[in-house]
Amino acid sequence: MSIKLQDVNYIYGIGTGQEIHALKNINLEINNGEFIGLAGHTGSGKSTLVQLLNGLMRASSGVIYYNGQNIYDKLYNMHSLRSKVGLVFQYPEHQLFETTVINDVQFGPKNLGLPQLEMELRSFQALKMVGIGDELLDVSPFTLSGGQKRRVAIAGILAMQPEVLVLDEPVAGLDPAGRDEILGLLKKLHSENNITIILVSHSMDDIAKYVNRMLVMNKGEIVLDGNPAKVFQFEKELERIGLGIPQAVKVCHQLREAGAYITGEPITAEDCAEAIYQWLKV
Amino acid sequence: MLRDITIGQYYASESVIHRLDPRVKVVATFVYIISLFCFDQLSGYIIAALFFGCMVKLSKVPFKFITRGIKPIIFMLIFTAALNLLWTSGEHILIKAGFITITVEGVKKMVFMALRLIFLIIGSSLMTLTTTPNQLTDAIESLFKPLNKVKVPVHEIAMMMSIALRFIPILVEETDKIMKAQMARGADFESGNIIQRVKNMVPIFIPLFVSAARRASDLALAMDARCYHGGEGRTKMKPLKYKKPDIIAYLVMFGYICIIITAGKFLPI
Ligand SMILES: Nc1ncnc2c1ncn2[C@@H]1O[C@H](COP(=O)(O)OP(=O)(O)OP(=O)(O)O)[C@@H](O)[C@H]1O
Ligand SMILES: [Mg+2]
Repeated sequence: MSIKLQDVNYIYGIGTGQEIHALKNINLEINNGEFIGLAGHTGSGKSTLVQLLNGLMRASSGVIYYNGQNIYDKLYNMHSLRSKVGLVFQYPEHQLFETTVINDVQFGPKNLGLPQLEMELRSFQALKMVGIGDELLDVSPFTLSGGQKRRVAIAGILAMQPEVLVLDEPVAGLDPAGRDEILGLLKKLHSENNITIILVSHSMDDIAKYVNRMLVMNKGEIVLDGNPAKVFQFEKELERIGLGIPQAVKVCHQLREAGAYITGEPITAEDCAEAIYQWLKV
Repeated sequence: MLRDITIGQYYASESVIHRLDPRVKVVATFVYIISLFCFDQLSGYIIAALFFGCMVKLSKVPFKFITRGIKPIIFMLIFTAALNLLWTSGEHILIKAGFITITVEGVKKMVFMALRLIFLIIGSSLMTLTTTPNQLTDAIESLFKPLNKVKVPVHEIAMMMSIALRFIPILVEETDKIMKAQMARGADFESGNIIQRVKNMVPIFIPLFVSAARRASDLALAMDARCYHGGEGRTKMKPLKYKKPDIIAYLVMFGYICIIITAGKFLPI
C-alpha cells in the first residue's frame, strides 16, 4: 500500500508562451500509515503536487503508482482513486453548496453510490469526528462561522473514508485553538484509524509537532526528506529557501553552538524546554 | 482544464507594436478594417496582406497565435462563402446543375469575401494579442472622452469594463478550483444526459455565485474605503501620452490608407 511517483514533471500553460515548470523530476514514495508534512515557500509546487496524487491533474511526464498500479493506465479507475485518496483543498469552505450541513457532507458518499443508510452513518460519524454537534446538522452551511465551515468541508471528505487523506493548508486562517483542534483530529485519525496523512503547511511549528516524516520543496523540487529532527539540522538551507525552523528548535541549536550540552533532538516546544531544563539541572 | 480558455488573449513580448500607445492600435485596427472595404481587386488584397505581414513580423507574435482567432468563426466563414458562391449571378457560367448555378463572378466574390473576413478577424486579433485588456479600456476611455460632453458616463463604463475584465480570470480560476474540489468528492461532470449534466453543475454554480458576490462586495467596500467617487477630477497613474513611435505609426497608417485607396481606384486587377 503506497503511492509512488516516478520522474514526475508538471508544466503549467504548455503552448501559451508562458510555461511554468511547477514540478521537476519528482521521485517519491509514500508508505502506508505515514504522517507526512509537506512544507515549502509559496509557489514551490506543493498544491500542484497534491493535486496529482488523486488524479485531478495529469502529470506532464512521469508515472504515478497507487498500490503498485499505474494510475495513468487506460483501464485504471480514476473515480475510485479519488475516493481512496481524499483531497481537502485550501479554503475548503468555499466548496459548500447544499441547503443543510448534513446534505453537504453526504455529497461525497452519494457520489460513491453508497446505500442511504451507510451514507448517513458515515456522514454522522464524520461530523462527529470533526466536532460538529447534532444541533448544526440541519442548518445552512452558509450561516456557520469560518472555522465551522472548514470542519464541515473536511467532514465531507472524511465521510468518503479515504485510505490516504491529503490536506492543503487545512489550518490557514484559523485561530490557535481551532488550529490545534484540527491538527489534533488529524493526529487521532492517523493513530486510531491508521489513515495515511499528507499535511501541507507553511508552519514548521505545526509540522514539527505532528508529523513523522517531512518533505521540503523548493522551486518544484523536493530538497529535503526525512524525520523532522533530521530536517531541522539543515537550518541554513531551510532559511535560504525562506522557511526556517521552529523557534524552540532554533534556541536549542544556538545554545548547543554556544557550548551547552543538550541531549537528543528535541523538536516540539515542550521537548525543547525539557531538554534545556535537563541541561540547566546538571 | 478551464485554464485553456483564454479571454483577452494577450501574448507577452517586447516589441515595437507592444509598446505603441494603445490608442494608436485601436485607431489603426479600425482604419485597417475600413481599408478592407476600399478595394475590390486582387492587388488590394496583396497590399493588405503584405502590410499585415509586416505588422505581425514587427509584433514578434508567432503566426499560429494569429490564425487561432479564425477557428471560432470557421462555420460562419463557410456559410458566407457558400452564400456568395450560389447567389451571385454573372455571365460566365461554370457549372449548371438544376437550380444550382456557379459563375466565375461567384467564385471570385466568394474568395474575396472570405479573405476580407479573415483579414478582419486576424487584424483585430493582432490588436488583442499585443494589448492588455487594461490598456485597451484605457484607450477606449481616452478615445471616447468627448462623449462626456453629451452626458455619456465614459469613465464609469470604462471602469466597469476593466473590473469585468479583471474578474474574468479570477472567476475562471475559481471555477476551476471549485470544480476540482467537487471532483475530489467524487462529482462527475462528464457523463449523463443533458438534464443530468445541468443538475451536476449545481455544486459548481452555487459556490461560484457565493464567491462572486463576496468578491464584489469586498471590492465595493475597498473602493469606498479609498473614497472612490467616479471619474470627476480623477487623474491617472499612467496617463496615456503619445511619443515619437506613436506619431510614426499614425503616419504609416495614413500612408497605408492612401496607397490602398489609390490602388483601389487605379490598379486594373
Ligand atoms: N493554474 C495555474 N496556472 C498556471 N500556473 C500555475 C497554476 N497554479 C500554480 N501555478 C504556478 O505553479 C507554481 C507552483 O504553484 P503551487 O500552487 O503548486 O505552489 P504552492 O507551493 O502550493 O504555493 P502556496 O504555498 O502559495 O499555496 C507557481 O509558480 C504558480 O505560479
Ligand atoms: Mg498552495
